[in-house]
Amino acid sequence: MKVLAIIPAYNEEACIAQTVSSLVEACPDVDYLVVNDGSTDGTGSICDELALNHVDLPINCGLAAGFQTGMKYALRHGYDAAVQFDADGQHLPAYIPAMAQALADENADVVIASRVLAGEHIGGARGMGSKLIAGLIRLTTGARISDPTSGMRMYGTRMIELFAHDFDLTPEPDTVAMLARRGAKVVEVPAHMQERQGGQSYLDLPNVVRYMTRTCCSILMFQWFR
Amino acid sequence: MSLSLRILCVVGAVITFLVVTHNIRRRKLRLDDSLFWVVLSVALLVMAIFPGIVSALASALGFQAPSNFVFLAVIAVLTAKLFSLSAEVSTLRSRLDQLAQEEALLNKDEA
Repeated sequence: MKVLAIIPAYNEEACIAQTVSSLVEACPDVDYLVVNDGSTDGTGSICDELALNHVDLPINCGLAAGFQTGMKYALRHGYDAAVQFDADGQHLPAYIPAMAQALADENADVVIASRVLAGEHIGGARGMGSKLIAGLIRLTTGARISDPTSGMRMYGTRMIELFAHDFDLTPEPDTVAMLARRGAKVVEVPAHMQERQGGQSYLDLPNVVRYMTRTCCSILMFQWFR
Repeated sequence: MSLSLRILCVVGAVITFLVVTHNIRRRKLRLDDSLFWVVLSVALLVMAIFPGIVSALASALGFQAPSNFVFLAVIAVLTAKLFSLSAEVSTLRSRLDQLAQEEALLNKDEA
C-alpha cells in the first residue's frame, strides 16, 4: 500500500526539519510531501537545503488549497492513501501504519486518529468545542466520531480523487461530516498526540470564533446543499 | 413598519437564501463567502417577523418612519460589503500579478 503523508507548512521553520526526520525514521515506507504554502520565513530554504520532497506555492493559499495540492500530487502519483500530517510535530508518525491497516481492513474512506479513543482527555474550551462538533455531526449524520477536530486523518483513493478535484473541500470536521452523510465510511483508531514542538499556533480567539462559526454553520446548514 | 414592507423583507430573504444555496450547489460560491448572505437573509426575516425591534430602534435614533431606518440600515450594510469586496479584488489582483510573474520567471529559467 502506497501511503503519502501530506505536510502543509506555513512559516514552520522551527520544526519542519524535525517533523520530517522523525517521520522518515519511524515510517521509512511512507512517502511524504511538504507543501510550503508561501511561507515568508526560512521554511522554503530549509526544504531546499535538506532536499526534502516538497513543493513551494508562490503565494499563501491557505490550508485547504495547500492540502489540495498534496491530494493532486497523491492522485497523479497513484497513492492508495494520503494522510494529513501537521508540520508542527503534534502528530506521531508511529500511528500511520495502524491507520493504513484500518483503511485497508475495514475498506474505509476516512481514518481519523482519535485522542479520545486512546483515553486522552481533551480539556478546556478545546474539549468543549470538540464535543459540540461531535454532537452536531451525530445529530445531522448519525455518525459517531469521538475526535472530530483531530487533524490527523487518512483518506483512501476515492477521497483522494474527490479532494483533488472538488470545489471548496476543506480538510476539516465539517467535510468529514458531509462525507459521512454521503456514505463515505469513516473509522477511528486510537492515537496519542503531543504539544506542538515549535512555531506559533494560529488559534487565537478571533480565529477560534471564526472556526467554530464556520464549522457549526457548515455542519448544520450548508452540507445539505453541497 | 408597513405590512407590505414586511412581506417584501420576507420575499427578499427567501430569494437571497435560494440564490445562495443554488450557487453553493453549483460550486459557484464558497461556504466562507456565503455566510454573509445567510446572515443577511436571517436579519431580513427577523425584521419582518419582529417589527417591534425595528420600530424601537428607529424611534430611539430619531427616524420619522421605521421604513427609513430599514432602508438606511440595508444601504449601510451593503456599502460595507461593497467596500470589503473592493479591497478583496485589490488583493486578488496583486496575487494574480505575483503568480503571473512567478510563472514568467520560471519559464525564463527553463528556457
